Amino acid sequence: MTDPSPLLDVRGLSIRVAGTAEPLVDNVSFTLNAGETLCIVGESGCGKSLTALALMGLLEGTPLRVERGSAMFQGIDLLSAAPDVLRGLRGDRAAMIFQEPMTSLNPALRIGEQIAEAVRAHRDIPRDAARARAAEMLQRVRIPAAGKRLDEYPHQLSGGMRQRVMIAMALANDPALLIADEPTTALDVTIQAQILDLMRNLGAETGTAQIMITHDLGVVAEMADKVAVMYAGRIVEAGTTAQVFDDPQHPYTLGLMSSMPSLAGDQGRLVTIPGSVPSPDDMPRGCRFAARCPFATAQCEAPPPLAPRGTGHAVACWHAPLEDFAVGQRREVPA
Amino acid sequence: MLAFLGRRILIAIPTVFLISVFVFTLQHLLPGDPILVMAGEERDPEIIAALREKYRMNDPITVQYLAWAGNALQGDLGISLRTQQPVLELIAEKLPVTIQLAVMALIIAILIGIPAGVLSAYKKGTWIDWLANIIALSGLSVPNFWLGIMLILLVSVRLGWLPASGYLPLSEDPLQSIRVMVMPAFVLGTALAATLMRHTRSAMLSVLKSDYVRTARAKGLREGVVLVKHALRNALVPVVTVITLLFGELLAGAVLTEQIFTIPGFGKLVVDAVFNRDYAVVQGIVLCTGIAFIAMNILADAAYRVLNPRMSDQ
Repeated sequence: MTDPSPLLDVRGLSIRVAGTAEPLVDNVSFTLNAGETLCIVGESGCGKSLTALALMGLLEGTPLRVERGSAMFQGIDLLSAAPDVLRGLRGDRAAMIFQEPMTSLNPALRIGEQIAEAVRAHRDIPRDAARARAAEMLQRVRIPAAGKRLDEYPHQLSGGMRQRVMIAMALANDPALLIADEPTTALDVTIQAQILDLMRNLGAETGTAQIMITHDLGVVAEMADKVAVMYAGRIVEAGTTAQVFDDPQHPYTLGLMSSMPSLAGDQGRLVTIPGSVPSPDDMPRGCRFAARCPFATAQCEAPPPLAPRGTGHAVACWHAPLEDFAVGQRREVPA
Repeated sequence: MLAFLGRRILIAIPTVFLISVFVFTLQHLLPGDPILVMAGEERDPEIIAALREKYRMNDPITVQYLAWAGNALQGDLGISLRTQQPVLELIAEKLPVTIQLAVMALIIAILIGIPAGVLSAYKKGTWIDWLANIIALSGLSVPNFWLGIMLILLVSVRLGWLPASGYLPLSEDPLQSIRVMVMPAFVLGTALAATLMRHTRSAMLSVLKSDYVRTARAKGLREGVVLVKHALRNALVPVVTVITLLFGELLAGAVLTEQIFTIPGFGKLVVDAVFNRDYAVVQGIVLCTGIAFIAMNILADAAYRVLNPRMSDQ
């Protein structure tokens, strides 16, 4: 995080629905270096997908607006660049894949055409060259009989195959950045592992930096160099994967870790975090996790800053490190 | 595709049979007697009896149907009770006129309705959307005959740009024939354009929200490509149904417009036949219209399969 010129430098990103009091995504900052994989983890509705869509300039046509912040990527601010500049970037230097492979491909177009048009949108090359590139990409994502698959329609492919096609499409122009929004959530568990494997290998082969958005800590452990934990629109903890997994500092991260089922441990009942996520139109002003936090005190009515706790590790909690917190001070959280 | 068409045509046969039975029996349930109309003022019993014999009106209705259906299968729809011309000949004479009118009206409707629908969906909630909706609503609300008369007054009488009425076969002078037909086609087309616009708009609105449109944008495609290649192509599936049904309606429903512009088409034939209780002609017309509707439906299904590859596998 101390790299002087990261590939992507997001600072103070806030996203708001017009007319609401508190922003949905509040003051989100992170950096990503070339070739790195950052996982943004959090539960549904915490703003992780919104963050990704905002970076790609895909909030257009929704009631959501980027309110503040900057995101420098190869000398361009993704949050303030003109639509045409962003369009030129999208699918070329920065690409994105989505959660639902079943609906993310156009049902009326052959997959070869859908990949080739991504190439032709950014390169002035003849049709057959773009088609050859599409075939090459299908091979790269390990689709068997790639040449024949070019002329198939999405409905003729399985979910896993479709997600491979999406990956092929996203990587067709050798992007420097790939944002993957829950790429394995809609897939069977066995297929999930294959797709994650593929993404890790391709990342290593091409040096493409990846932002992977997920709610699955297993995916994080598998993929991430760095982790940012989001809760209700804010990053509550960020650090290397080892830091966050081995030494979680934020009560929410702790809760996430202990709610993960383990094969080894004889844990009995799974631990859950009491309470529920605040609703978007009723966001607390202070720490957004306070209502569910066993460590909350009066101090938590003020928003805690994301403060560094050692190299590369940052936590947004007044009481971090929690080890210092007296055991007797814990409170019972009403469920 | 050929197997599909063959199957659809086979399925259509019982439908045509049912239509023919309906047409035939309903006619005979209607009050009024065509023989009396033919016999004239005097109503001489002998003439009436002779006419009944000649047109086999004394046979049981099933025998009459079988005779009529048998002939119809051989292309003989009988003879007009009024003009003594073969019904098929009458229809063959008038149908091309109405088809030309309907096709031109449909082209005008598509050229206006689909782009307007796409634009108003894309610019949803802006003044463009409002304007398109207001124009569409007026297009639906203004009666054809009023718009026709106003256009004749303005374009023909005042400005003298286009002829007010008449008809010229396409084969004689294509350009002039189109010139004569433009105004009635426009009158018919505006109402259809409004319907098409509304359907295109709602189909586009749902397609524009879809994940694959977001994917298309994420690829960095131009908005025009996103709209036409990715969104419109998928939105057209329901719109095509509407278009084919509208075309069937046009063939049957151009009556008023044909009257206003004195076009010797199908609509005029229908009106004359009904008023004169010209059974044979009415039967022929309804049968033809029914078959036209079925044909349009088969065409619509064929168009789906082109637009929606998921259906081609079934």
